[in-house]
Amino acid sequence: MEIAVVGPLEFTLGFQLAGVKNLYNPSSDEELSELLKSLLNQSEIGVVVVDNKDLNKLSDRLRLQLTESVTPTVLGIGTEEDNTLRESIKSALGVDLWK
Amino acid sequence: MALDIKPTRSELINLKRRIKQTSSGYNLLKMKRDGLFHEFRTLLSEMISAREELVGTYRDALQAISLASSIEGGLSVKSAAIAASKRPEVSVSKRNIMGVVVPKVDGQNLKLSTEDRGLGLIGGSPYIDEAADSYSLLIEKVVKAAEMEATLKRLLEEIEATKRRVNALEFKVIPEMKEAQTFIQLRLEEMEREETFRLKRFKNK
Repeated sequence: MEIAVVGPLEFTLGFQLAGVKNLYNPSSDEELSELLKSLLNQSEIGVVVVDNKDLNKLSDRLRLQLTESVTPTVLGIGTEEDNTLRESIKSALGVDLWK
Repeated sequence: MALDIKPTRSELINLKRRIKQTSSGYNLLKMKRDGLFHEFRTLLSEMISAREELVGTYRDALQAISLASSIEGGLSVKSAAIAASKRPEVSVSKRNIMGVVVPKVDGQNLKLSTEDRGLGLIGGSPYIDEAADSYSLLIEKVVKAAEMEATLKRLLEEIEATKRRVNALEFKVIPEMKEAQTFIQLRLEEMEREETFRLKRFKNK
């Protein structure tokens, strides 16, 4: 299985340098959500790396779908911490264990 | 509760057996929930540190690539990126944690050596090399974090489902059956008393 990277050109460039070939540079928000939806259904993709800023632009429904998907696992990275997992832990267990 | 149960002795025996069965199931589920929770807590602390590392590595990588593009120029960084010949791959296998199937992600070729980068020893630049190295490290961390995140998600789902089941048994199913049992017992006693009284009346005549 392969790693896919989705984001603006400057975000994907570094991953390209490390050898990742599945790079996607969507130009608009609609294109981004269509692309992520299609990546969810591809069996040869194991991990999808997305910029956190892009993840925040998506609709709540798609974001939930992405965070719930296991293969491929969608991982948002950015310079700030993201709290999606923390929120889901809070809602499932009733306690904030993220400390 | 709708008491549509027949107040008979056989029903009572059945009910007693079912209560016993349900209670043992309830205890098992409770243990499963606690076990899952325990597993979740240990994994969560690992996950938190993995996340922190990921953010740190990403910052370093960003810095390295900005340095490389400002010194070597964006074009040479891009051409170096195109030259990379091997691609990192991940394989997803399955692992079992207390009956929950979780993915185990392993990476291959995550770290490219200088030859694999396809630039040769003279063509490359130390800054680009450094940027590529830090991104390789980032990919390693991404793979680890992805595995842990998927595992935690699955565990979380299972914990939630088990919790619901435990609560339903504890607060709905078992109390209802106990209520039915008391109802049958009382009704049977009542019928017995009626029977004795009837016999007495019969004897007096």
